[in-house]
Amino acid sequence: MSITTLLFFFLNGLSEGLLLFLIALGLNLIFGVMGVLNFAHGSLYMLGAYLTYTIAVQGNLSFWLALIIAPVIVALVGGAIEILCLRPIYNRDVSSQLLLTFAFVLLINDLVRLLWGNLPLTILNPELFQQTTQILGDPYPTYNLFIILITPAIAIGLWLLLKRTRWGKLMRAAARDPVMTGALGINVSRLFTLVFILGTWLAGVAGVLAAPLRTINPAMGDNIIIESFIVVVIGGLGNLPGSLVGALTIGQVNSFGILIAQRAQVAFPFILMTIVLLLRPRGLFGKSRS
Amino acid sequence: MYYQYSRRTFLKQIVGAATGFLTACNLRNAEQNKTVKIGAMYLLTGGFATYGEFARDGINLALEEINQTGGIDGRPVEIIFEHEGSPIQTARRLVLQEKVDFLLGIDSSGNAEALVPIIPELEKILMITHAASPKVTGSLCNKYVFRCSVNSPQNSTAGAIVAAEEGYQKWTTIGPDYAFGRQSWELFQKALQERKEGVEFLKTTAFPKLGVQDYNSFITKLQNSGTDAIWCSLWGNDLVNFIRQANNFGLFERFPVYMELGAAMEVLTALGEQMPLGQWVGTRYWWQTPDTQINRNFVQKFRDRYNTYPSYNAQNAYVGLHLIAAAANEAKSTDTAAVIEALKGRSYQAPMGQLILREQDRQAVVDVTWGKTAASSDYNFRVLDPIKVIKGDAIARQPSLTGCQN
Repeated sequence: MSITTLLFFFLNGLSEGLLLFLIALGLNLIFGVMGVLNFAHGSLYMLGAYLTYTIAVQGNLSFWLALIIAPVIVALVGGAIEILCLRPIYNRDVSSQLLLTFAFVLLINDLVRLLWGNLPLTILNPELFQQTTQILGDPYPTYNLFIILITPAIAIGLWLLLKRTRWGKLMRAAARDPVMTGALGINVSRLFTLVFILGTWLAGVAGVLAAPLRTINPAMGDNIIIESFIVVVIGGLGNLPGSLVGALTIGQVNSFGILIAQRAQVAFPFILMTIVLLLRPRGLFGKSRS
Repeated sequence: MYYQYSRRTFLKQIVGAATGFLTACNLRNAEQNKTVKIGAMYLLTGGFATYGEFARDGINLALEEINQTGGIDGRPVEIIFEHEGSPIQTARRLVLQEKVDFLLGIDSSGNAEALVPIIPELEKILMITHAASPKVTGSLCNKYVFRCSVNSPQNSTAGAIVAAEEGYQKWTTIGPDYAFGRQSWELFQKALQERKEGVEFLKTTAFPKLGVQDYNSFITKLQNSGTDAIWCSLWGNDLVNFIRQANNFGLFERFPVYMELGAAMEVLTALGEQMPLGQWVGTRYWWQTPDTQINRNFVQKFRDRYNTYPSYNAQNAYVGLHLIAAAANEAKSTDTAAVIEALKGRSYQAPMGQLILREQDRQAVVDVTWGKTAASSDYNFRVLDPIKVIKGDAIARQPSLTGCQN
């Protein structure tokens, strides 16, 4: 096994992990601040991919335009869901929220079927990234390298937003203690809407980035949501750096699992999650909320 | 005062009631005689609904043709479509409650293997039009179950015949990690070994689970396996995913990849120009072969009606319904035993060519098409050129080796 091959396995794991991180990030942000487990997150990711198809293929516009527009549309859908459906039931039992977001999984999946049909769709790689890049003499997909670069950029942007801006401070405050934040005169319900919009925007971005790599089909949301939840559980519910570690670990475990023990590879993420839950029930980086 | 109940009134009432009862019975009978009901079970929801939709389109076209030419035994035919999830309950309900005369369908091999053993208790014919598991016309076979579509041993053997013609010695595989993918690789190895000396099958193989989104590391693994050529049994969305990510790695420029179900229309349309050129691909029906009047008519009608080319699942379902209708018309009855007799050994001119439901295992023996992917300015998807038709007799399993005892 050459160094190049090992490096490729590492890069494969990195690009898969980072894309997963982007999906888990939105999921975890929404949970961390609002306490809502959004099952529909995978479906919104799928919606992002379908919108990319509409913009880039049916509309014959550029992929880069889709990268800007599609996540905004997804975020607006997310905002509508939060204002119209989630907001009235925050006082109710958590199971109501779970049922509601699950209902949206079914609704969005059927909507996608109705609008775009059941046939799988594809879009071409953006022109800039159609070639391979030579790494130590072997060709490697340039688009994967693009994923490896852009995802951390988005994550750093989000981190700066949370750390350095007033809105970020408010979000963190609301995550810690929403009642106190409200008592200090902050409009918490508007803040929640913003967080939900930001989280679903991230799902939309991930959907656009995944569209040139993965087949766009009505099952693509369901295929990703379980792994995203595993990432969130491993990293710690509501803990964003934890999501990064969780996603990168899953990416590498998946990638090298194929090399080392292919038959067991499917089970590795679940085994990893079980071990983490046994040793650190709140996830690697989770702190108890007391 | 009490009501005078005369003998006359009593008789009137009795006669009236009896007439009413008999009329009602007659109406019921007339209603039962009115339509022939057929239960069609396919994957109509979920991630594989494309297959169910194509099957439904094929069936509706056949239904129209059958009803225009007098239906079955003079009675119009009615189809009841059901999603095939929980196939046993669905089949029972169709037979016991809806009183269907025949069962048709089944996309998933897993569902077919679950359903076939309970068919004898329902005493209705099941015509399988897609599921390719060798078991349903093999170790699990029974006299009620027929299959009018190509099964996975036929597919793999046809691929091995094509592969044997070129000089590749070392082979590995990528296939879905369930019975179909594993069987496909075993059958291919066996069939190729019988036809070519000195071939070597590598220990390094790739079996991603169904629905995996990221194939990068499987591709890296294949590229470093030291193989000459790759046998690929991925299908549907998974195959589309694999091909696109393999394109990114330049896999097809370095290795020939024989794709067992690469010429499926849903795959070719989804990929368009992203389908690599010059690769051997197989399917269970290709709309350009054979070049017969029957096939041309079918393709034309299908295109007029649905504005798309028929996929193999559409053709298979279309043929399945026609076979039932033809056999029942010959038997002049919808009685199960009579139609079984008419179906056994039946020869039929299908769009995909001459098809024989052979007596021993009730599996269709029919030609299979492979071809090399080629660009064409007439279509916005890849077509096959050259096309290679492998004779049905050359790829059918020996009846004694299928394990079918019934």
